[in-house]
Amino acid sequence: MTKPSVPLGLVFSRSGPYAMMAREMEKSALMAVNEVNESHEFDFTFAPHLRDPGGIVPAYHTACDDLIREERVEHIVGCYTSASRKQVIPIVERTERLLWHPARYEGFESSDNVIYVGAAPNHTVVPLVKHMLEHIASDVFCAGSNYVWTWETNRVLREIVTSAGGRILAERLLELGETSVDHIVREIVDRRPPVVFNTLVGESSYVFMRALHAASVRAGLSIPMLSCSLCEPELKLIGSAASVGCITSSAYFESIEGPENRAFVARWKARHGSRSNPSVDGQSTYVCVMLLARAIRRAGSTDVAAVRRAAANHRYDSPQGPVWVDPDNNHCFLTPRLARSVPGCQFEIFWEADAPERPDPYLSNLDLASIGAKLEARDDGPTKRPNHLRVVK
Amino acid sequence: MTKSSPFSVRGRHALVIMRDEREISIVRRQLSRLGMSVTESDPTRLAPPDGPADVIVLDADSIPIKSDSMPAWKSNTPVIALIGTETPSRLKWLLDLQPASFLIKPLRSAGLYTALVVAFDCAQRRFGEAAYVEKLEERIRSRRVVFAAVLQVMRAHALSEDDAFALIRQTAMRHRTTIEQLSAEIIAVGGMPNRTSRTA
Repeated sequence: MTKPSVPLGLVFSRSGPYAMMAREMEKSALMAVNEVNESHEFDFTFAPHLRDPGGIVPAYHTACDDLIREERVEHIVGCYTSASRKQVIPIVERTERLLWHPARYEGFESSDNVIYVGAAPNHTVVPLVKHMLEHIASDVFCAGSNYVWTWETNRVLREIVTSAGGRILAERLLELGETSVDHIVREIVDRRPPVVFNTLVGESSYVFMRALHAASVRAGLSIPMLSCSLCEPELKLIGSAASVGCITSSAYFESIEGPENRAFVARWKARHGSRSNPSVDGQSTYVCVMLLARAIRRAGSTDVAAVRRAAANHRYDSPQGPVWVDPDNNHCFLTPRLARSVPGCQFEIFWEADAPERPDPYLSNLDLASIGAKLEARDDGPTKRPNHLRVVK
Repeated sequence: MTKSSPFSVRGRHALVIMRDEREISIVRRQLSRLGMSVTESDPTRLAPPDGPADVIVLDADSIPIKSDSMPAWKSNTPVIALIGTETPSRLKWLLDLQPASFLIKPLRSAGLYTALVVAFDCAQRRFGEAAYVEKLEERIRSRRVVFAAVLQVMRAHALSEDDAFALIRQTAMRHRTTIEQLSAEIIAVGGMPNRTSRTA
């Protein structure tokens, strides 16, 4: 008996400015589809319908409209940028479909017709800035791409840093894709900030990291760098020397211990070659398809309302660890992690949360006062108070 | 600033600064139904086109936050902001423009008329409030003059402060002038001006 087939829309820009990331995501989606189709645990198969909007924002609307009308899909996995997601939301809301969104984003959105599988800002920027304040410095130099991710990430950074008594030394922005980075590198070498916060994306970031590394070596400097987006395939593109030592916040690294990830990486390498590495966005796309498959199985139906209900609070032991959808806001419980990039284009994880953290897309639970208080306690000096003792006045 | 009712939008002129062709067509169609004329401008232009507009319809997502062209959009013309991204960084940028009203994207034909009425009403109120504030500021500026005049009258007529002020107020009313103007005259002539006849 052949299993019934479920049409599945996959919308990734294999061409255009962020084709590299989108190809990783599509590869991961197809890998998950393949695994579902070959598994006896699922009594249906996915029939993937691929669309390539070429990174052109209005083309996302056209692609999804076509998938819904022509291919009759109820579920779409895809989009990378917030601009593309905002094109798709009106259609999925109007036609009551579900978009499964893999990429981390800046938050401040919560559609009933989107399942946000990527990290929310409380998973990425907040732990990174806390680490910076507690272990590196409270004055920071920002370099970023001139678009919504940088604006909002820098705003959160500024809010936390200034409430803890620190300063934003500079905020230098480049247009997306811009690679003239010399003036920023020169300024950093001249001013020698204690830390650089890098929200540049794509080629701008690779060129910047190479140039800053070279200039730092010449000047005998070693300035720590922070990122919320760097991933293993990018470390390779940057080159092994310049990519080392960047402190990165992410819900997924290839080096995560645990049987699910070890098995995932092995399957990845068997499928894509031993020199290929999974990335955070790719892994998240894989998780999207798996969460969807499991919700369909649990609901016994592909109906959007039933699938949404079935996905809520349904734990999946994914490569990145336990993941489940919070029905309050359709974002996911994820485990935030911090890692340092090391030689060999890998990350060494040095911190992870004790348990998956509730998504907070509006950062409404961000407690600035407690971050500042923690720092003040630290500044007490060498006679640091044991933190299990209560102060009695 | 027009004194006409905010509910009558016919004949008014809108400057539309938007990027998305689908949304522009919704705005264009709805404004023409309402009898308004439209000029369209590309958000990437550094300055808005010359010529007066009664309202600006601005797609907030179409202009980068860190943008040199930003000051060019600041004007006294009421702005209707179209909002897609609700991040605080974008909203802060928007607040600096002091939008008179807003619409959430995706746009529909419904809602635009309300946004226009609110924008025109808001602009009218702002205009009235600005004039009122100016009047109050003028009063504050002339307080020193009034105080000096009261002192002068107290000394010249051996009056208490309350009585001196009451005299100035009554005289100002009789002469159909303001306390501030009469005070300026008192200081200029060194005493109560010698007006023998009522002006009325």
